[in-house]
Amino acid sequence: MKSPRLKSLTCAALLPLLMPSTAALASEFDGYTLRVKLIGGAQYEPLYAEIPKWEEMTGAKVEVLSRKNHFELDREIKQDIAAGTLDWCVGSNHTSFAPQYGDIYVDLNGVIAGDVLGKFDELAIKNSTVGGKLVQLPRHADISNLYYKKSLYEDQANKDAFKAKYGYDLTPPDTFEQFKDQAIFFADAPTFYGTQYVGKDEAITGRFYEMLVANGGALFDEDWNPTFNSEAGVRTVMWFKELYDAKAVPAGVLNYLWDDTGLGFASGTVALNLDWAGWASFFNDPANSKVAGDIGLVRAPKGTSGKRSGWSGAHTFSITETCDNKEAAASFVTFLTDHDRQMIEARAGLLPTRTQVWDDAKAEFAAAGNDFLVTVFDTYAQSMAEDAFTPPLIDTWIEVSNEIWPALQAAILGEKTPQEALDEAAEEARIIMEDAGYIQ
Amino acid sequence: MARTKSPYKTRLALTPYLLLSPAFLVLIFVVALPLVFSLYTSFTGYRLVRPDTLWNWVGTRNYERIFADLDFWIAFGRTILFLAIALNLEFILGLGIALLINRITWGQRTLRTIMMFPMMFSPILVGYQFKFIFNDNIGVLNNALQSLGISDAATPWLVDRYLALGSIIFAEVWMSTSVFAILLLAGLFAMPRDPIEAARVDGCSPWQVFRHITLPFLMPFAFIAMTIRSLDVARAYDIVDVMTGGGPAGRTELLWTLIARVGYDNARMGQANAMAYVSIILSIAFTYYFFTKLVAARRYMGGAA
Repeated sequence: MKSPRLKSLTCAALLPLLMPSTAALASEFDGYTLRVKLIGGAQYEPLYAEIPKWEEMTGAKVEVLSRKNHFELDREIKQDIAAGTLDWCVGSNHTSFAPQYGDIYVDLNGVIAGDVLGKFDELAIKNSTVGGKLVQLPRHADISNLYYKKSLYEDQANKDAFKAKYGYDLTPPDTFEQFKDQAIFFADAPTFYGTQYVGKDEAITGRFYEMLVANGGALFDEDWNPTFNSEAGVRTVMWFKELYDAKAVPAGVLNYLWDDTGLGFASGTVALNLDWAGWASFFNDPANSKVAGDIGLVRAPKGTSGKRSGWSGAHTFSITETCDNKEAAASFVTFLTDHDRQMIEARAGLLPTRTQVWDDAKAEFAAAGNDFLVTVFDTYAQSMAEDAFTPPLIDTWIEVSNEIWPALQAAILGEKTPQEALDEAAEEARIIMEDAGYIQ
Repeated sequence: MARTKSPYKTRLALTPYLLLSPAFLVLIFVVALPLVFSLYTSFTGYRLVRPDTLWNWVGTRNYERIFADLDFWIAFGRTILFLAIALNLEFILGLGIALLINRITWGQRTLRTIMMFPMMFSPILVGYQFKFIFNDNIGVLNNALQSLGISDAATPWLVDRYLALGSIIFAEVWMSTSVFAILLLAGLFAMPRDPIEAARVDGCSPWQVFRHITLPFLMPFAFIAMTIRSLDVARAYDIVDVMTGGGPAGRTELLWTLIARVGYDNARMGQANAMAYVSIILSIAFTYYFFTKLVAARRYMGGAA
């Protein structure tokens, strides 16, 4: 048996040894104010509650200049670049957005110790590298898998009716074709929908992109000529359109972003939801969700090529070149992505970027009897390992995306045929790639 | 023999310029320089994230692209339509509210204050409020229609080609009708009673009094409100961005949602500035039109031209 007194004695004995190092650390940034711009939103906030601990440890103060969603933060950073007002040190970043920002962020290879970087997932570090520079430290990873309302699949009447109509057993979908069949089967608009998808901005471009790849297509060929207006591209758009025309998704879906789809599934009025792990704890919390305790999860479906969709990226932190105290900034981002901080985010379902945290988080969930989060981590670990791929890490990604998503909307609404819409977007994308010098 | 001015007289001649110079300097630095700078950037390939591209002169290429860009001209036309409908609705509703408030004798101050409430909200907040009201799935409007048994459909207010623009116009009108109401009410307060009483003595009907005396007297106030609001609505951005983002499929795209996307999301500030300069034509045209009408209305009332 461990004695509390023994523990106290040990602590007391160790205290003098610890004190000098703590004091040294505290004096290191004492009185310094670190200016930061962070991504905001319910799922990102719990980590920021840890900031006072870093302040206490180092003697520095953190001034949060911005806490906005990433699209707004992106605009603000671009304005800062234009106005030459990069007078802050740490900013939230994302692997899909980072290539746009040129040279404003430092190469973390020289700033953060090699042994610290070695504890991160190799792929996450690779995806955070732009032009050979590690411009961001991955905070948590992002990939989508398929949540479903379990009771619908256990209902015998549903099983019989589905089998009679489609000729195969009702089990959680393994392909996008099955996904579409089942979404249409479950839909009963306007009270219940088969599924939903994010319908605008880079969100729907990303979905289109991952399904295009799963269907055997590609956004560009190896010379950066746009190729998404291929037969695979048209087939991909048809998936969105057929669901829309069948009223298997809400009519307003084309204005939906991530919060709308997440809250929609939590409202209990949606059967299937392809989404990231960040919602997992929310979905299973009876205080927030009507589907708590009734959620199943499978890997994202396969496209016609047999490959699963796996659009992936990571939320990250970067340090500006103009930062006046890069050591403090490095200490701060290292703290926010250390083992204990990633454990905090993992408990909400956010996917860690440190390999050790995957194992420790899963062990903790298993010990607490939280089978749902164990399943979540198992499923997402497998998809991160086998299915994940990023969008092209080029500076024109958002600009090309801004040509693709209005075209997808036009095709879904029937204003243009899928081929016409994709052809026009591909032509515009070609001009962007030519202007940027990718196509000579 | 040539006569030279004494230093005193020179100083005296320069004094007005000296006194005016602070105003000129403010105008140059606050108004002229930013305008000249943005005009210059419209002839460059300036990308927001690449400050060095500020010196990349591309001549009239940005303008040539705009003139060949059908999406831009559709957004241009839609902005005119949006402006015309919103302004007319705001005028009619503002006039009605002003006439009603002018009639009441008790609680008028309180009502005037309440009338101003929508203007006090930030356009972003108004956008979110109406986005929630018009949401097809969880929105208040569809739920009310379904609960009252008026409709059992999930009307896509923010998706349908006509309803989406209509919903945004509704939000815009809700927020800004009080601009018209308050200016027209000021006009009603300033209106002399004699012509109205004389007309009544001569046997004019209430409609005739309104049509031939009240309305002409109010028109200068209406045109001032229209000038202010036309400049405002031509720059409509926040409400549209929050409610639909200019979509879906560009169905609610107005000039400034398009310009903001090109300038910030795509970081093509040179091209966005060129678009902004072309779109200024719209504001100038409306301002000129309303000022012409204002002068005509004042002349009609016997005021100074």
